[in-house]
Amino acid sequence: MIGRVALAMLLAADVTSSALAADPVTRPATAADYAAIAKLPDWTGIWQPDWSALFAGRGGRIPDKPVTTPAATKMLVDFEAGKAKGENLQTQAANCVPPGMPQIMRMPYPIEFIYSPGRVTIAIETDSQVRRIYTDGRPLPGDPDPTFNGSSVGHWEGDTLVVDTVGLSPRTSIVAGLHPTEQTRIQERFHLAKPDVMEVTTTITDPTLFAQPYVLRQPYARKREWQIREYICEENNRDAADPFGRPTMDISK
Amino acid sequence: MRVRILLASAAAAVALAPAAAHHSTAMFAWGKEVKIQQATVERWDWTNPHTFLYVTTANGEHWAFEGMSPNHLGRTGWNKRTLNPGDKVGLVYYPLKDGRKGGFDVAVTLPNGQTLRQLNSPTDNPAKDAAR
Repeated sequence: MIGRVALAMLLAADVTSSALAADPVTRPATAADYAAIAKLPDWTGIWQPDWSALFAGRGGRIPDKPVTTPAATKMLVDFEAGKAKGENLQTQAANCVPPGMPQIMRMPYPIEFIYSPGRVTIAIETDSQVRRIYTDGRPLPGDPDPTFNGSSVGHWEGDTLVVDTVGLSPRTSIVAGLHPTEQTRIQERFHLAKPDVMEVTTTITDPTLFAQPYVLRQPYARKREWQIREYICEENNRDAADPFGRPTMDISK
Repeated sequence: MRVRILLASAAAAVALAPAAAHHSTAMFAWGKEVKIQQATVERWDWTNPHTFLYVTTANGEHWAFEGMSPNHLGRTGWNKRTLNPGDKVGLVYYPLKDGRKGGFDVAVTLPNGQTLRQLNSPTDNPAKDAAR
């Protein structure tokens, strides 16, 4: 009899822990949770990526090139060979498919940060995307479904938000020609370098792709006078990429 | 040697890849400015992911120009009423490579003589701002 109760409790406990691992429960917010938010750095306003760091030829910082594994180097060479044939010139973004992480953080439109108990939410103007970063102590999911923006958890180290992301879709690209794998990990560190300048350092690791961690640095300028605007790519898209990445454009009126 | 050149060019391409929100500039002769002294606005679509400007030229040709998005232009001095059907405007554009009557809108000179450019940065370099 006792054995049967113990077994039932064990099963119940096991079911509970499995459910937690699969789908963490958001606990009720307390006054202390809201008080903790008041102590976080003030990241109100919206943040515009520094164009000079995004585009070549503007006198700004160009992202360091990744140090790739031989396999990934071959992927890049093959990708460039496709370009020489008129392919790989246009990404699925031309078909209004969002770019996913990490490129969604390097688009030429602003982002904003929203604090709530146990979470930082990043609202991204490009393609009206949202990243939910859980800061309630939950672990990263062990075997997440692949998604464009991945699964993220974060924690604060002083005034620096550290975000870890896994579970990226292989349909997206880390850089043109290289797709995430199940081993791709991203860590971002967000902090204010100046009162109105945010620096984001993004470190991407994947032993199948990169021989060294691939580090990107992206500054953002605070724009208190701006608001995030709607961006529905399907509103009037006249561009397209075919399956080989060849561009087309509809100029009919 | 050939492999080394290929590797170098692949690496350069990665470093130089622009982070366009929507598409690359591959279909345009990017940087090759062409002018139209006067055209008449037929329609201006203030839409995402791109604005589109349709005009008739002095010799009666219909042309179409893709431009930056309302999100970009709205922060650099443009608005939905900047261009109206019937306006006589001057244009600078980068042509389509395929020879069709279209291209990327670079600058528009309005009936009042003011020239608005499409590719102005919406923000200065924040690192430079911070250093001031």
